[in-house]
Formats: sequence, C-alpha cells, structure tokens
Amino acid sequence: MSRLWTYLARYRVRFGAGVVCLVAATSLAMSVPWLWRRAVNDIAAGAGPQALWRTVALLVAIAVAQAIMRTASRTLIFNAGRDIEYDLRNDLFAHLERLPLGFYQTRKTGDLMSRLVNDVTAVRMLLGPGILNFINTPVYYAYGLAIMCSIDPVLTVAALAVYPVVLYAVKRTSAALMERTLRVQEGLADLSSRVQENLSGIHVVKAYGAEAHQRRTFTEMSDRFQEASLRLARMRSFIGPLMNIVGGVGALVVMWLGGRRVLDGRLSVGDLVAFVGYLHLLAWPTMALGWMLSVFQRGRAAMQRLNELFTIEPAIATAPDASPITPFRGDIELRDVTFRYPARRDGPPILDRVSLRIPAGKTVAIVGRTGAGKTSLVQLVPRLFDVESGQVLLDGRDVRTLPLAWLRAAVGVVPQDPFLFSRTIAENVGFALADDGRDRVARAVEAAGLGRDLADMPAGLDTVVGERGITLSGGQKQRVTLARVLASDPRVLVLDDALSSVDASTEREILDRLRDVIRSRTTLLVAHRITTVKEADEIVVLEHGRIVEQGTHEALLARGRVYPDLFRQQVLDDELEAFG
Amino acid sequence: MSDESPDEIGKAYDARLLRRLWTYVRSYRAVFWGALLLSPVNQAFSLIQPYLLMIGIDRYVAARDLAGLGRLATIFSIAVVGEFVSYYGQSYLTMLVAQRSLADLRVALFAHLQRLPMAFFDRTPVGKLVSRVTTDVDVLNEMFAAGAMTIVLDLLKLVGITAFMCWINWQMALVSLLLLGPMMLAIDFFRRRARVTYRQIRERIARINGFLQEAIGGIAVVQLSAREARTFAEFDRLNADHRDANRWSNRYEAALFSLVEAVSTVSIAFMLLRGGTLAAADVVEVGTVIAFIQYIQQFFVPIRDFSAKYAVMQSSMTAAERIFALLDEPAEPEAVAPQVPAVVRGAIEFDHVWFAYKAPDDREPEWVLRDVSFRIAPGEQIAIVGATGSGKTTTIKLLDRLYEAQRGRVLVDGIDVRDWDAAALRRRIAVVLQDVFLFSGSVADNVTLGTPGIERATVEAAGRYVHADGFVQRLGGYDAELRERGSNLSTGQRQLLAFARALAHDPAVLVMDEATSSVDPETEWLVQDALAKLLAGRTALVIAHRLSTIEHADRILVLHKGHLREEGTHAELLARDGVYARLYRMQYAPEQSGVAVGAG
Repeated sequence: MSRLWTYLARYRVRFGAGVVCLVAATSLAMSVPWLWRRAVNDIAAGAGPQALWRTVALLVAIAVAQAIMRTASRTLIFNAGRDIEYDLRNDLFAHLERLPLGFYQTRKTGDLMSRLVNDVTAVRMLLGPGILNFINTPVYYAYGLAIMCSIDPVLTVAALAVYPVVLYAVKRTSAALMERTLRVQEGLADLSSRVQENLSGIHVVKAYGAEAHQRRTFTEMSDRFQEASLRLARMRSFIGPLMNIVGGVGALVVMWLGGRRVLDGRLSVGDLVAFVGYLHLLAWPTMALGWMLSVFQRGRAAMQRLNELFTIEPAIATAPDASPITPFRGDIELRDVTFRYPARRDGPPILDRVSLRIPAGKTVAIVGRTGAGKTSLVQLVPRLFDVESGQVLLDGRDVRTLPLAWLRAAVGVVPQDPFLFSRTIAENVGFALADDGRDRVARAVEAAGLGRDLADMPAGLDTVVGERGITLSGGQKQRVTLARVLASDPRVLVLDDALSSVDASTEREILDRLRDVIRSRTTLLVAHRITTVKEADEIVVLEHGRIVEQGTHEALLARGRVYPDLFRQQVLDDELEAFG
Repeated sequence: MSDESPDEIGKAYDARLLRRLWTYVRSYRAVFWGALLLSPVNQAFSLIQPYLLMIGIDRYVAARDLAGLGRLATIFSIAVVGEFVSYYGQSYLTMLVAQRSLADLRVALFAHLQRLPMAFFDRTPVGKLVSRVTTDVDVLNEMFAAGAMTIVLDLLKLVGITAFMCWINWQMALVSLLLLGPMMLAIDFFRRRARVTYRQIRERIARINGFLQEAIGGIAVVQLSAREARTFAEFDRLNADHRDANRWSNRYEAALFSLVEAVSTVSIAFMLLRGGTLAAADVVEVGTVIAFIQYIQQFFVPIRDFSAKYAVMQSSMTAAERIFALLDEPAEPEAVAPQVPAVVRGAIEFDHVWFAYKAPDDREPEWVLRDVSFRIAPGEQIAIVGATGSGKTTTIKLLDRLYEAQRGRVLVDGIDVRDWDAAALRRRIAVVLQDVFLFSGSVADNVTLGTPGIERATVEAAGRYVHADGFVQRLGGYDAELRERGSNLSTGQRQLLAFARALAHDPAVLVMDEATSSVDPETEWLVQDALAKLLAGRTALVIAHRLSTIEHADRILVLHKGHLREEGTHAELLARDGVYARLYRMQYAPEQSGVAVGAG
C-alpha cells in the first residue's frame, strides 16, 4: 500500500482541494432540509409569500453555490484519480519493458494485459469514487445525526431503527455478492477459453464432424454460466429495492410516530419535513457502503497484484559500471556455458558446458535436431537470457559488462518466429532505427529480397500489415524481420533459422545477395537446410545441449557421425524444391 | 487495432438491431411482459407514498385523529412492502429474460461459428471471435441491467410523477416543472458532448489494449531493437489520450450531476413559494407541500442517471452490430440433396482439380493445385511427396471438403464431395495432422471427440493397439485430464493419441500428414509401428516426410508447384529416373548429393 501513498502524495494538493470542496458541498446540501423546515413551518403558520421570499432566495443561492462546489469536488478528485491511473499504467509499462524474456515465458499475455488495464482501473476506482465516498459518508452521518437529534432524539432513533438491519444486510450481501461476482467472472473466463480452444482446433472439429458434440458441451457450459449469472442477478436485484425500503420505512416512521409527536405538541410539521429530507439524504451513503466495501476490496487486491509485478527486479539490466567496446571488432566466444531457462531450473540443462569461438568476420553455422539448444545458444549473445554458469564474451568482454542498448545494437538477431507489428512495412523494417531512415529501410528491403513482393502491394513500403502480419505469407514475414535487422546494420548478425518459411531458391537468392554483408560481419547461422550451412567457415553440431561435432562441411561429411545423418534425414520437401 | 471503426457515430438506438435482438427475447416474452407490467405496479406503490404522507398530515394530524393515523400507517406499510416486492420482481424478471435470451444468442453464435467455412477462420483472428461470443454478449446483458429497459421505465416514471402532481394540484405541478425545459436543453448539450467523449474513451481503451497486446507479444523484438524508450513514448501518448478523454467526461458528468441537483433544489424552492401562496389562500394544506418535495426529488433521480445509461446503450448497439455481423457470415455451403451412402468403400478420385485459396475477381488466382487428376482404389496406400507449398496439404483439405475446388471435381466412392452430407463424409475420413490438436478434457474425450457410439472398450482397445496405453496409464488412465491441452505430452505421445483417435473412429479412409519433427528413438519406433497397423486395410493417403514411409506405399504421387509431376510405385519411379529418383539417390548417397543439390 505504501506505493499507493506515494502516488496519492503526488496529487495531495488537488485531493486536498477536492476534499475541501466536497465538505463544503455536503454542508450546503445539509442546510437544505433545514430551510424546508422553516418554510413549511411558515406555511403551516399561515404566513404569506412575503415571509417565504427570504427562505426561497437563500435556497436558490445555496443551490448555485452547491452546484459549483459539487462540480469542483468531483472534477478535482476524479481527475486526480485519473492522473494516478495514468501514472500507474505508465510506470507499470515501463517496468515491464525492462523485465527479461524469461519473465514473459512464465506469464500469459492476457494476464499481464488484464493487470495493466483492469487492475489499474480497479485502483483508480478506489482512489476516485472510493475516496470521495469514504470522506462523504462520515460527513453526511455527522451532520444528519446531529441535526436530527437536535430536533428530536426519540424520532431519530426510531427513524434510523431500520438502519442496523439494512447495514447488516448490506454487509452480508456484499460478501456473497463478491463471491457470486467471482463465480460469474470465472464462468465467463471458462466460456472464453472454451471458445478459444474450439476455434483453434476448428479443423479437428470439422474433420471429425464433432460440431454437435462441441455445441452440446458449450451449451452445458453456457447453462452453468447462466445459472451463476442468475444467482448474482437474484442478489443484485435485491439491492435497489432495499435502498427504497430505507426511505419508505423512514417516511412511515416519521408520519406515524412523528405525527403523534406533532399531536403532542412536541414537534412542528416543519420538523417532520426536515426529518424526511435528512433521511432521504442519508439513504444513499448508507447503500453506498456495500458498494464502497467491494471497491476497497477490489482495489486492494488489484494493488497487490500490481505490486507483485513492481517488486520483480529486472534480472537482465545494464550494470552500473558498464561501458561499450570501442572499436568493436566482433569476436564472439562462449566459454564453458551452461544454461537452463529460468522457468525450468530443475530440468536438464539446455546447454551443457558449451565452449565456442567465432573470430570476427567469420560465419559459423549451428545445426542440430529440434530441442538441441540451437536457439538458446544464439539468444545468449544479445542477453535475451543470461548464462547459468560460464561466460559469453564479445571481443573478450563479458556481455554482462556491456550496456544493454549498445549490445543489442551491435548484435542483430533475426528470430525463428517472425513478429511483426500492425504498422506499415517501412515502420516494421525501421523499428530499431532512431529516425525513420527511409534510405536504409529501402536498401534493407531490397537486400532481404522483398522488392518484388512490395511491388505487388497496394502502397509498397507504406502498406500496413494486418494484425501480427496476418496479411503476409510466412516467408514474407521472415524477410521483413530480416530487413529489420539489416536496416540497423549490426556488427554481429544472428540468423536463427530465419528463412525456414522461404523456399529454397529464394533463400539461395537472398543469401547470395547478402554475401557481402555476411563476409564483413561475424555471423551466427542456425539453419536446417544443408545448402544454407554448407558455405559457413565452420559448422557446429549440437546434440542435447552439447557440441558433438565441429568442422567444415566437407570435413564433417567425411568424418562426422551426426552430421551425415542429419544430412540424410533432410526433409524431402526442401530437397524437392531444388528441382525445376 | 481497435475493433471499432473510427467513423462510427456511436448511436444509442438502432431499431433494426433491437428488432433483431427481439427475436431472441421473444421466446421469453411472457417473462418480459411480466417484468414490464410489474413496473406500473411498482410505480403505483412508490408514488402513493408521498400522497399517503400528505393525507396523514393534512387529514389526521391536523384533525388529531390518532386512529386514522394508525390505519394510514398500515396502508403505508403495505405500500412499502408492495414497492419492495414489485421492484425486486421486476428487476429479477428483467435479468431472467436477459440471461435466458442472451444464453440463446451465445449458443446460436457458437453454433454458427461451427458452421463457418475454413476460409473464414484463415482470415479472422481467433481473439476477435472469442470476444464476440463472450465480451460483446456480456455488454448486451448490461443493456438489460442498466440501459434500454430502465430508460423506458424511467420515462414511465416521469410521466407517472407528473400525472400525480397535476392531479393533486396542477398549479404547483406547473411551478415545480418550470425549470424542466431549460434543463432538458442543458442535458441535451451535455449529452452531445458526452456522446463524443464516450466514443473516444472506448476507442482509446481499445487502442491501449491493441497496443499492449503487440508490445507484450513482441517484447523480444522491442528489447532486441533497444526500442524501449520509444515504445514507452508511444504508450504514454495513448495512455495520456485516454486520460484526457476521461478528464472531459469527468467534467461533463460532474457538471451534469451538480446541475440536476441544483435544479431539483431550486424547483422545490419555487414550489414552496407557490405552495405558500396557495396555502395562505387555503387552497392547499401543508401536507401537499411536503408531498411535492418528495415528488420533485423522485423526479430528478432518473434524469441524473440518464447519461450513464446512454453510454451503456451506445456500447450495446456497437456490440449488437458486431454480433449480428458475425451471425450474417455465410455458413459452409450444404449439398442440396446430401448423400449418405450406407457403406463407404474408400475410392477416391481427383478429376482435373484446380484450386486457389483466394480467388480475386479481377486477375488470375494463385493456383495451389493445377489440373490435378488421380484415382485411388479402396484399400490402396498412397504416399504424397512434394516441397512446401506444392499443394500436399491442400489435397487433404479438398478431400475432406474443408475447401471446395474452383474447377474439376473431387469424388469419394464416385460421389462428388459437394453432394455428400459433409458430416457423414468427414466421419468416414480420419485426418491426422502433424500438429496434433488436443482439447482440454480427459484422454478418452480426446479419443472419442464426443462421437456417439464409441464405447470405452473401443477407446482402450485403440489405445493399446497404437501403443498409447503405456503413457496413458502413467497419466492416470483414460479418465485422466490432459493438462493445458496436453502440454505435458511429448510430440510422439501426441501423435500416438491422434492415432488412437483416428482408429477409434474406424474410418474407411485415413489421411495423414506425417510429422517432420524428430522424436526420441523409442517413441519413433512406436509411432512407425502404430502407423503401419493403423494403415492396414484402409485406403490411406500419407503426406510422407520419411523415405521408409514412401517405400512401403503402394503408389507415390509427386506434387510439384501444384502439378502432379510423377505417379507410380517406388520401383517404377526409380526406373523413370525423374524427380523422385534423384531425390531418392540424394537421400541415400550423401557423397554425391552436393552435386545433385547444386545442379538444381
């Protein structure tokens, strides 16, 4: 909660001013029934309009002042809440940006989004409307009780007799309400994952004619959700009428008991009016208690969830004494590297005491079966992950002593899974550039073999790719990703099976065009096509996280054990492409 | 990124959509009308209370009639209880109608999704469809709970109060409602402003959602591009836009809230003045004035809440629009007179088939299959080989009629697949894909997929037959729940489960896309053995990635760039010395392959 206080403190002036206006507005509101009392007593006494004029003028003045104060208080407090919401969301986003990939492997995108959107909103509800009511309610009660007691303590007690019952009901229902709301939310989440699953597997559903069964199970689930919703509705429907009954019973007591006390001469008719008025004013804050309770509970739980994220220290960050390498030649060395993914620390190592040297300007290809550790190896160089033991060195310096931004500008990784943003192709390609670098983008696009594809697109470079590049083919997406890295011109180039969805001849063509680029850089190449890796200065064969063979294509074919085998097991598809 | 088009005006009322929604409510119209009819009852109970207070003060207190006051109190109690019960009944019945009819809508939507063609799913992200079925339907629920229905009821209430006040004393009623006109104008002004802000808020939060989805999904790219600062700046802008729209909305709402409160106070003040005059002239008594205070207070509450309800209506109309648009998506075409042969032998024929996924009107489509013809006799086992994009997978999809050929015909047992009953056809053809999709649920559920008539014994026999029994027992048997859609299973185990699934359905035709990814040697052996058993005695079409599979096939089809290039047995194709022969040599003679590949 202490984090919350720092945000509150930041806006204390506006919250303070808001609270002052709020108390003023409420005080003004509280004077209104008192004036009714005066007016009604005057009317009952048979006084003409002359006597009423002053009261009425006062009422109008109060109405205007109250409107101003009310507007000011709500605007100040609610907007301060919005400001905190904005700060909190920004801070959380900035924090998430600094958390390493290992963190994201253990979290679902949906969960993080829900914290950034829903939980931050819940905290804002706590700070805006929550605080407003938290302050308003005691003020209402203090005024209301004091004034009513000053008129008639007995009638006050009688009229408020129903309150404890209502408060108890509110307290009871708010717990049950929470519980039922939770059930409904869970039901909705279940429905959503059900639909998600069904649609992801729609090809299986159709292929086995399982539509009817799917519909049946969905209907059952929907029915259960409906029952949960109705249970909630039964309780929610109770709250509106409950509020009315508070007013109704109050009026009844005032009429019956108050009426008798007027007959006794202890009260005036105007007193009755004041009572009805104050009871009306108190009804809302009373009902709002239950609502406030849930706002507080939700807000606190949400803040805890946010804190849980805020307290995670970024495991991969720039060290305080980090400095770049100048000039950077591009030597890479892995020294006795062992690695496991942070989420699976208890499993077998992904990389097991791997040592490898790539002199500046050379090209090393890494081959091996799925799961051999190829991708993990290349991810260690730009520090997407840190080694468990051993060292990754650039020009002899441990990568952990380099500034992250510098390191990642120096090492360009084209990942296996292309990820595109729903922006223009130019923006995707220039993603890592400080300016829009139109020329570099254009050159990179050409080098990545996208020229012909772009000619076919309506707006060329300015074509917006659909959600996650849905409008592009797999090969096109990979080439856009390649262009993105080429545009930023890194000293070390890492291609992680980056052209697997591109057909063999196009890949050949791209690599030919990149020959100069590759020769002038240190290149790490993960690939499964032999034609791709053949020309590397050295080929490294990984198996179960260890380097089992190392050498040139010819040497490995002649002497190797695993490499020729891998070579033979080449997937037929790719080889077939070699034929016209 | 946003679901909503930017030029959308944010209508709060659309008769066409509401009429369509009514078709779902209609089944529960008795309850619906019940809820609607309860509302005048409720209002009668509610409106009578200030009137009773008036009588009590004017008639009994003034006349010092204690017994009368007691009687009146009894009537008042009945009114309070009546109001409570009718209010509760009315809001519960409303929710009942809402839940029942929206559940129907949701199920209809889901059922419709099952009938949409594959091409639809190719172009629509799953996430969007999920929010249609869940979030959007839920928004409509809000419409019932806090929107449309209550707006109608509120209007009724305003009319009721006005009528009551006029009936008691029209002069005072007139004075009380003097400010109504100007206030309506003011409210209309706020409503116009608010309409724009509400739309902005919705658009901007949708933009934040879309942005986050990408930024988190692409966090590796952001970090590798060292673009954290700029990405943050972009987010900051969206976040600030959202905050600013909300600031305006807060100002409007605060002003409107205060305005209504002030108008209520001033109206009561005016009424007091008029009431005082009339009382002095003995036209009305003091109780009337008290009753009027309460009526005026009741009158302004729904007016104050109007803007919130308006916002709910706006978002419901948008949601309804999107839901109905999805319901209007054309379903898979059905055969005019669907044929369901009693016995399926498993003869397959492709007759000059041309197919493209996208068929633009103006230019030549990108053909994936070009004039492909072949026949497969019942019981024959065929291997298809070809490069990525050569059309192998498409062949399967056409056979199962997940897509339809633009030219030519696909025949199963001599009947065009378009004339088959789609479900019957697909039940007789089992498809096992590379990427095995498992559903959450038990192992047995994943084998049967709910197909009626598959007994437990069949499931277990299938499991044993394809060597899945071992790991299934380790999981805890066939009733064991698969965690997160089988994420705890290896690729090989998933394959075996898919085999069991196919076997349990006892298909006449088995279609299989052999997995390329390697599995451990032991499982590999199990998979190979299971596959051989599975294929025995069936017409089989295997997209082969392993030479061993090809060698065992009766016949091999070589697809290349959409053409059927070669066709024949292993021996025949080797003898022909074409594509297949070179490929085969290359796989088994690595020493020469460098030349072979280079020559391509």
